[in-house]
Amino acid sequence: MKKQLINNTKLGFFVLVGLLFLILLLYMIGRNRSLFGSNYLLKTRFENVNGLIPGNNVRYAGIQAGTVKKLEILNDTTVEVTMIIDTEMEQIIRKDAITAIGTDGLVGNKVVNIVPGNLNASIAKNGDLLKSKKPIDTEKILNTLSTTNNDVSIIVSGLKTTVERINNSSAIWDLLSDDQLPNDIKKSARNIQLATLKAAAISNEFQLILNELRNGNGSLGMLLNDTVLVSNLNKSSHNLNLVSLQLHTVVSDLQKDINSGKGPVNSLLKDTLMVKKLNTSLDNIQMGTDGFNQSMEALKHSFLLRGYFKRLEKEKAKKDTIPK
Amino acid sequence: MSIQSDLKSFLDVCGELFRFNSRFFTYGFKPPYEFSEFLKQCYVIGYKSLPLIGLTAFIMGIVLTMQLRPSMADYGVESQLPAIVAIAIVREVGPVITALIFAGKIGSSIGAELGSMKVTEQIDAMEVSGTNPFMYLVVTRVLACTFMLPILVMLGDAISLYGAYLGVNIHSNTSFNLFWSQVFDNLVFGDVLPAFIKSFFFGFAVGLIGSYKGYTSTKGTEGVGRSANSAVVVSSVMIFIIDLLAVQVTNIWGL
Repeated sequence: MKKQLINNTKLGFFVLVGLLFLILLLYMIGRNRSLFGSNYLLKTRFENVNGLIPGNNVRYAGIQAGTVKKLEILNDTTVEVTMIIDTEMEQIIRKDAITAIGTDGLVGNKVVNIVPGNLNASIAKNGDLLKSKKPIDTEKILNTLSTTNNDVSIIVSGLKTTVERINNSSAIWDLLSDDQLPNDIKKSARNIQLATLKAAAISNEFQLILNELRNGNGSLGMLLNDTVLVSNLNKSSHNLNLVSLQLHTVVSDLQKDINSGKGPVNSLLKDTLMVKKLNTSLDNIQMGTDGFNQSMEALKHSFLLRGYFKRLEKEKAKKDTIPK
Repeated sequence: MSIQSDLKSFLDVCGELFRFNSRFFTYGFKPPYEFSEFLKQCYVIGYKSLPLIGLTAFIMGIVLTMQLRPSMADYGVESQLPAIVAIAIVREVGPVITALIFAGKIGSSIGAELGSMKVTEQIDAMEVSGTNPFMYLVVTRVLACTFMLPILVMLGDAISLYGAYLGVNIHSNTSFNLFWSQVFDNLVFGDVLPAFIKSFFFGFAVGLIGSYKGYTSTKGTEGVGRSANSAVVVSSVMIFIIDLLAVQVTNIWGL
């Protein structure tokens, strides 16, 4: 009888442990499915729920906030999702929070993500309808990805040929391995800097000049800005015009005179006979002066005038000695 | 033996089993209850089977995890290993493996025990002495099997999952907390309750078939061996048939 009692105790322990595990299992599952503990309901509407089923998780900012309770088709384009949310989220989820359907990992279960909205909105209450965002279509993403991939492959092949060309050309490598080049480039850069500084100074000066010009300072400025001068200039140019006209008439008269007139100029220029006469006269004058020269020499040697000439020579000799 | 007589004997057995079954339901729940005998059978059937069930369940947990790992790693979802192992164990492997071991241990022992009682005419003697042998021997055993197997399945699941935890940790490093939260996150009532309910049927089948085979054993000591043997074989097959029915029913209910 005593043994029987011990056996029964063992049996009771065994059964209790087994049932405890069952209860633990059920409790843990129930807790995950928001069956125990207080909670409230929120609703949202989607055009397409992408395979969401009751029991899927609802997450707020990535934290487990509840589960999907039921899906209801309202009309051909709207599905209403009712979510059970834990009470501890009651002070956190606001009316303008946005719901979106996502996946747990790339190929995992669907989840409803609640994204926080504006801080100023009021707290969402039991049965409130939250706004929703269109779920991302995985197929679309993959399509875009495939076109992107094609583009990338084209780019990569282009890059490959470019790189091969660069590798094959020795010029670039020479350029890259040249130690002197950086210094040269630095110097050039410095020169360019200086040049640009100078250019800047020049342009400043230019600017100043232009400003002065604009203000009418300096002669050029006056020239450009003085309206009286312009009218004067105009007048003088007009006068000049008149003068040149008169000159023109004078010149033409002169020309006429020269070509057909009887004046000395005309005869000087046109009369060949007179030229001959002049020539002979000039010859005669030369002969006359020669004769005069002889007579003068004869005079120097004549006794009457010799004394005068000697005195002249003495005075000349005196003048020469004095400076010595 | 022609196919016809084969079929005839099969139908004969089916009919007798059904009658045995209805006899159980007719007398089983009427007083006088053999309560202390029921507890004794529970002790023998349930408590005494725990070490064997625990060992097989533990090994099953480790082996299943290690076998699943390479393919899970191929798909890049090695982190989901606890989840998939938990679902496999709780839904299918735990109940079926436990029930099969249970059938091997308890089905054969009931068949042999009742068979030897039958051939040594102890059952007849019991009837003469005024005790209802069906109540005392069959009903207590069948009920004990029915109620003990689900508990064994639960304990087996727990031990299996612990084995799976060790199995996961052979190659990677998963904390105990993470393992359990992954397990519970991925289990639903639809995994646990059908498995728990079908294990009642497994236990009932093992107890009933073992008792029937023992109770109807003939031809002396040779018959005892045969009834023990066929108790195991038939109850094992029956477990799979019930499993098939259970999965159909759960599918219809969408669990």
